[in-house]
Amino acid sequence: MANAVEYTPSGDAAVSQFERHRSDLIRSRRAMNMLFVGGFLLVLFASIQVSQFHPDRLASGLPRIFEYFGTIMPNLELDKLFLGRGENGRAVPGSITFWYSDFWVYIRLIFETILMALTATILGAAVAFLLCFPASRNLAPNSVIYALSRRFMEFCRGVPEILYALVLVFAVGIGPLAGVLAIAIHTAGALGKLFSEVNENASMRPVEGIRGVGGSWFEEIRYGIVPQILPNFTSYTLLRFEINVRASSIVGFVGAGGIGQELNRVISLYSDDRVVAVLLLVVLTVTLIDLLSERLRMHFIGKENFR
Amino acid sequence: MTAMTISSMATHEIEAVQRAHPGVFGGNRSRAIATAVWLAIIAYTIGSLWYFEIWKLAYASDRTWRLISNFFVWKDMETWQYANIYKGIAQTLAMAFLGTLLGSCAALVIGFFAARNTMPSRIVRQLTRRMLDVFRGVDQLVWGLVFVRAVGLGPLAGVMAIFISDMGTLSKLYAEAIENIDRKQVEGVRATGAGPIQIVRFGYIPQVLPVFISQSLYFFESSTRSATILGLVGAGGIGMIIIERFRANMFDQVAFVVLNVLVCIFVIDWLSRLIRERFIGELSR
Repeated sequence: MANAVEYTPSGDAAVSQFERHRSDLIRSRRAMNMLFVGGFLLVLFASIQVSQFHPDRLASGLPRIFEYFGTIMPNLELDKLFLGRGENGRAVPGSITFWYSDFWVYIRLIFETILMALTATILGAAVAFLLCFPASRNLAPNSVIYALSRRFMEFCRGVPEILYALVLVFAVGIGPLAGVLAIAIHTAGALGKLFSEVNENASMRPVEGIRGVGGSWFEEIRYGIVPQILPNFTSYTLLRFEINVRASSIVGFVGAGGIGQELNRVISLYSDDRVVAVLLLVVLTVTLIDLLSERLRMHFIGKENFR
Repeated sequence: MTAMTISSMATHEIEAVQRAHPGVFGGNRSRAIATAVWLAIIAYTIGSLWYFEIWKLAYASDRTWRLISNFFVWKDMETWQYANIYKGIAQTLAMAFLGTLLGSCAALVIGFFAARNTMPSRIVRQLTRRMLDVFRGVDQLVWGLVFVRAVGLGPLAGVMAIFISDMGTLSKLYAEAIENIDRKQVEGVRATGAGPIQIVRFGYIPQVLPVFISQSLYFFESSTRSATILGLVGAGGIGMIIIERFRANMFDQVAFVVLNVLVCIFVIDWLSRLIRERFIGELSR
């Protein structure tokens, strides 16, 4: 401690050396930083130019945004809030009944949306389960099959599901089937990748044991790998189910069924409280599914699997 | 134990082993439950596919065939208006860039309002978080549709949609990063008599900036993906070109555009990984 307080000439030399090194370092970093800032500004101006994000457009657009949000808010009046339908079967404006006139239509569509997500998750997970073994480096029977299954899965998850939905609506017609198939294709790709990563991290000892007693490739996987990976697969599949509920509430925008179709219709045709009515139900459903599936994951797999 | 010794064991010996280790082999009851679950899943899948009218797949074969063959046979390639296509891709990238940039700027402020250690007032914090939940809970495509209604067709709606949903998610991630910082540095800055702005500038920002930048880069990546489909609802970019040409039955051009977009996304992924590894990795160490 004593020599820290002591000022000697050699200490000054050390300080000046430190300062010199520091200024060198700052100078060298400054050039790099200038380059970065320059590149950043270039990209910024280019993108403002390309997307026509001009101040005057923004200034004229912003008030309209708030205006629009004002029109889609429900017009509820406190004294009429819980009034039911009158004798003539009409709801009173300002009541919740009036706001949610089509409540049961929405509920039916939301139920359909959840069914779509569930079916698509099951189908996609089944395909992913079959594909993930040839697509993991440690289990692939040969490199051609490995590369082929990898490329196939990359293609499945590379294209957004709504584009698949667009194509499938053209092919099989408007309705939930197109949505289910589109989400299933995307799920197969996305889950297949995660599954094969789980496989690559699995212990190879059971596999070697089964190979040692003369097991075939299928037996190696059935008895060596599957028991190890099943908990992780279940958790990923449940996680994917949550994502698919979101996706299936969206694919309806291109005519592939579910609540998305109604949401698209309501937003495109009307500028009133129906928009918020549907949106609120969608957000509630998605949140509820998230919470439920989280509970289920915890129940099945235990906390230690979620680092 | 080899295959020989297993096959040479008598049946009653195997049963004895099974009785001794019921947890390993599983009883009849757990097997019955597993079978029931599998049967239920299969029954549900078949039933729901029937409900979704799976037989339509069989009727669609000739139309699907025409569609697929049109995807792969490219005709009249000189009339495809390439300038238009690449302008659309550039517009998509610009939308993603501006949306993510604006979202990050907003999140930089909102993050501090949503973090437990920087926002002492519980009410403000909870209000901010619930607002962020709404931004995040509504899908980006829905925001796109809403903004198209509000400001008209074009990239402005797309930028706004990406901005709102990125702001929702990034603010939450930023707030988490702020909550996880080392308190000592902040206390040191406070001990020198710094004001609240200076505490944030010198106590918090140097610690959280690398995390912020790498999160924002991730979001730029994912925004380029979602910006391509924002156009499907009219919010500008390449998606608008895709849906226009799809509606006009020019499937070969759609295939070409989608291929281009995939290559573009691949390049962006690679670039942002490069930036993260080279510069952010260096900063955070």
